[in-house]
Amino acid sequence: MCRFVASMLGCMAVTMAIGAPIYPVATGSTLQFQGTQQGEKFVGAIRAYDAKIAFDPADTAHSLFDVSMQLKSIDSKSLERDQAMQTVDWFDTGHYPLATFRTVAFRSLGTGWVADADLSIKGRTKRIAFPFQFQKSATGAILDAKVALNRLDFGLGAGEWADDSMVGHRVEVWVHLVLAAPAPSVGEKPPTKAGAKTAH
Amino acid sequence: MSLRSTTEAWSALTRVFHWGMFALYAGLIGVGYYMVDLPLSAAKMKIYALHKSVGVAMLVLVTLRLCWRAMDRRPTSEPMSVWQQRAAVTAVLFLYGLMFALPLSGWVYNSAAGFPLRWFNLINLPALMAPTPTWKLWAKSAHEIASIVFMSLVAVHALAALKHHFWDKDKTLSRMLPRRKGWF
Repeated sequence: MCRFVASMLGCMAVTMAIGAPIYPVATGSTLQFQGTQQGEKFVGAIRAYDAKIAFDPADTAHSLFDVSMQLKSIDSKSLERDQAMQTVDWFDTGHYPLATFRTVAFRSLGTGWVADADLSIKGRTKRIAFPFQFQKSATGAILDAKVALNRLDFGLGAGEWADDSMVGHRVEVWVHLVLAAPAPSVGEKPPTKAGAKTAH
Repeated sequence: MSLRSTTEAWSALTRVFHWGMFALYAGLIGVGYYMVDLPLSAAKMKIYALHKSVGVAMLVLVTLRLCWRAMDRRPTSEPMSVWQQRAAVTAVLFLYGLMFALPLSGWVYNSAAGFPLRWFNLINLPALMAPTPTWKLWAKSAHEIASIVFMSLVAVHALAALKHHFWDKDKTLSRMLPRRKGWF
């Protein structure tokens, strides 16, 4: 009960701090990364993640992307590779089951956006620039992003894996979030006719 | 000594193919059975990469070997019974078949498992199929069984050659052996 109340309060606090409309993540969204193994590219999908996307282009100060990824859910279409990624040398999911991503500031580029964000993997946090496109659509919005990381920044593949002969250092993260329309919150203007039409 | 085989002996090139590929296959099979039980490490992946690279090279080598065999003459066969003649030809046919089946099943296994195939750190070879768990199991079994059948047939082939050499005292083995004055 206490926990419930606490989480409700926490949720309310977060919601109030965010301010921007929260877009629920809908089906069709993908969170993937592309790495290189022995000169050949492969794609891994993070199947289980929780993304809170609160974004208002007119009020980025109250916008926030808060994403938590379950690294045990990585699927790269190779059982051996997926098992290897769980080990101590790589994501060490026994100790660090989650990777987190949390924005701290947003900048407009005119043609798109850049978020400064803290990415934490394997207990290491790095401030990264996260360029993304945010397109409002009839049913909500589409968020697309592509960002290149160096796996060594997060201690992924240390020791005998450190050189790039077997596994490349550069990893591209691909984000494609299909976002549903934000739920109208208290005090928000009633939805327009067009908005009401697309709600179902 | 000509490059081509004579009625007396196999050519130098044929003998290089025969003994060179024997050595490479012995290494491949030895490493193959050793590497599968290694714990995961970068070293293990490097050993796998080498096994695969040599394996693909064998596919090229056996093709060249068959081309050469088709172009070359053959020494006249030593006198032997019809069943021995047939058994020898059958064994050799199966040996050639397995020299294709071994690398190809390995390649299918690698593709079905979703692994890259980089040939001697030079070029990446295409996958023969998309990652498929069922094919992975079948191809793995095929690769293993092919290696066991191959080793058994090589043993029979070698024992038969030794029998001809020491029992029948004919030239079946000696005409495939390296020359005393070098290969040529």
